Amino acid sequence: MERFITKENLTRLAEELVATCRVLAPVAGGGSVTFRRFQPGMTIDLHTRMAAVSPKAATFPQTETLLVVKREGEEKKPELIETLPQGKSVVIGCRPCGARGKLIFDPVYETEKIKDPYYLQRRQNTVFISLACDRPETTCFCHSVGSGPADPDGSDVLLTLVGEGYVARSVTPAGEEILKLALFTDAGDKGKEADAKNAKAREMMGEGHDYAGAPAKLLARFDDMDFWQAQSAKCISCGACTYMCPTCYCFNITDDDLGLNSRRIRTWDNCMSHTFTLEGSGHNPRSTKAHRLKNRVGHKFSYYPDLHKGVIACCGCGRCIKQCPAGIDIRQIVKAAQEYSE
Amino acid sequence: MSQLDDLKTAIKSRLGELECVIGWEQGYDPLHATPLFIRSEADLDRLIIGPLAVHNLATYLTGYKGKKVGVVVKGCDSKSVVQLLNEKLINRDDVVIFGLCCDGVVSQRKIRAALPADPGFVESVEIGGDGMTVTVAGQAATLKFADVQADKCRICTTPDAIVSDVLVGTAHTPAPAASLACQDEFEAKSDAEKLEFWQETMSRCIRCYACRNACPMCVCRDYCIATSRDPLWLSQDNTPAENMMFQMVHVSHLAGRCTECGECERACPVDIPLMLLRRFMNKQVKDVFEHQAGAALEQTPPLLTFKVEEERINERGW
Amino acid sequence: MPAQDVRELRIVGFLCNWCSYGGADTAGVGRFTQPTDLRIIRVPCSGRIDPLFIVRSLMNGADGVLVSGCHPRDCHYAEGNFYARRRLEMLKRFLPITGIDARRFEYTWVSASEGQRWQHVVTEFTRRIHELGPAPSFNPASEADWNALAVQASQGQGCPCHG
Repeated sequence: MERFITKENLTRLAEELVATCRVLAPVAGGGSVTFRRFQPGMTIDLHTRMAAVSPKAATFPQTETLLVVKREGEEKKPELIETLPQGKSVVIGCRPCGARGKLIFDPVYETEKIKDPYYLQRRQNTVFISLACDRPETTCFCHSVGSGPADPDGSDVLLTLVGEGYVARSVTPAGEEILKLALFTDAGDKGKEADAKNAKAREMMGEGHDYAGAPAKLLARFDDMDFWQAQSAKCISCGACTYMCPTCYCFNITDDDLGLNSRRIRTWDNCMSHTFTLEGSGHNPRSTKAHRLKNRVGHKFSYYPDLHKGVIACCGCGRCIKQCPAGIDIRQIVKAAQEYSE
Repeated sequence: MSQLDDLKTAIKSRLGELECVIGWEQGYDPLHATPLFIRSEADLDRLIIGPLAVHNLATYLTGYKGKKVGVVVKGCDSKSVVQLLNEKLINRDDVVIFGLCCDGVVSQRKIRAALPADPGFVESVEIGGDGMTVTVAGQAATLKFADVQADKCRICTTPDAIVSDVLVGTAHTPAPAASLACQDEFEAKSDAEKLEFWQETMSRCIRCYACRNACPMCVCRDYCIATSRDPLWLSQDNTPAENMMFQMVHVSHLAGRCTECGECERACPVDIPLMLLRRFMNKQVKDVFEHQAGAALEQTPPLLTFKVEEERINERGW
Repeated sequence: MPAQDVRELRIVGFLCNWCSYGGADTAGVGRFTQPTDLRIIRVPCSGRIDPLFIVRSLMNGADGVLVSGCHPRDCHYAEGNFYARRRLEMLKRFLPITGIDARRFEYTWVSASEGQRWQHVVTEFTRRIHELGPAPSFNPASEADWNALAVQASQGQGCPCHG
């Protein structure tokens, strides 16, 4: 289905949806654009820049309560309450790369043997209304990882800016339901203009880098710690790259004891941290930042593709490059491994 | 010869005896520099200095303990080196300091605010005179350094490295101490306003610990109390209270040690003005102990010592 | 502050084993009337108190925190309270920038023989905390409060330097 919505009506759409769902949208504040729980009165900021943090929190919140334990005195048995996520969510104004991140989650969180009810519940109840990009940033490389600036995969509705509004195209049945709302009008022949804009944006990106052969090349460098030490020299071992990443899906589970009430929470974890692989004995198989960066790059461009039909576990949004305090460029690391000659 | 040429010559003559020399090179786009680890003369060709060389490279020094390395430092960065030396966290014989006379560095945040389009769309940057011409998304914009300078440069009293083996560039006459208007303005707010500000700002924090890891004085590295489970200082939950608690941990552990290099704030991916807290703490340290971290060699951090009679602390008689 | 008149507030006291804890004991033995809001945590020395104990208490919902140790120059361990004095003073001066009312934290020195002084300190501090009332939670109290804050922030009422 193809429809049209004006800029003002997109804000009205968010305001209407707030009554029935949790709406997440990029909002500017304190100099930063981040995804916020939308409230009437907020201004959705779609065009200043791509949000600093990816929209993955919609399907994979930074903190998620898995269960609550309630105790009443010594005699009574503690009560365990499972807290599955309730209600529907809508993400408005993420970029196609951000929406695509969850496609990397899916094969991990839903296998034949293991199904993660918390993730799946959110996954099924979240609609992504993405905005196609009209110009690539210096850090963008979605076209190198099998995607593009107007990639519909992972989105439910794809918007393209045309004049003072957006051409809206449904990608999934859930997206089609949204487009039936009265705020959307007939797109007329604006679809052609949208196609032209999307084609131009893709053209501006030029030819992507070919990651063919990268999994084997990275694996070949697995024991070459000199290579990884050189690549990781400037890494400061923080978690900016992983926490910003739409595809990083690792988590930690901890118990918060609050007197008579306790919570078991699942939170984002960060493979660049020493504690990520720290074992109870005190031994750490990834004891240096070189080991850890090797894992991050290797996982995305080698181990994951090997396990999941060659799909690279990266959506090319470039957040890890531009948010890295030391300016580490993951593209250069993979390239260095690809071009390495003994 | 230019400052860069002088620097390259100086590094070249010492490179043989060093594990590496840490400097900067052009980063992933024309607006960004990135740290460079010089191991050969070929690497040396990539060295750059100038307003984009923002990173405080002293952060890397404790990672090379026991090895002899060189480091290029601006005036502000040299204070971090001094503080590390004063705390005996690095050994003076193990570090060769290439000091710069610095004309200031930019704030990427201010550049972002001053440009007509997102800096992600940058095409070219030309640096010269008292500013830079940045072309973004086909539009050229001329920015004056004075407008896009980092906050720390506006109130800088040490533009030239205060400790060095080699100092390159033309020495500056240091400016007198001054305060930032935005700092004064924030401090003047009421407790309730400040609380609201931090509640809101800390709800943006994702606890990536970039602030901590970018800090040259955060030397615990892999053994920070923030990530310890026993004792448990912080919950993994990322509420404003827990996020702020971490900032309190950072500021307390930096009391009398923070050299105000501003790396914590620069590293923050969600633009939290962390220096508001650090500058305020430093002001208190200066008021009570007349101490400024990294200002001179052979200083003892004030919280690692005491006086039997404290001139500026009242005895809290009730 | 008799407990029966008003709701008790949560005041945490960190007292050194050798002086102030003894001072509180002396006050008790002397049957001096004291408010009951204070919950005492006994530590070996005021030098054992990490200022973050105090911060953590305040962030976890304490309405006030009182620290008391041996008088300077009278520390059981000779110099523990000299270090404590510097740390506590820095914390007290730092609190205002965080938006936590610095009056919610106080530190003082009470010796084991000063039962009356202890009574005075604890009474005065408890009175002060009751005047201030319950401490605002650092986490917004309700979802409505969260939302109001978020809206406010999006309207640009942020940091003066960052707009």
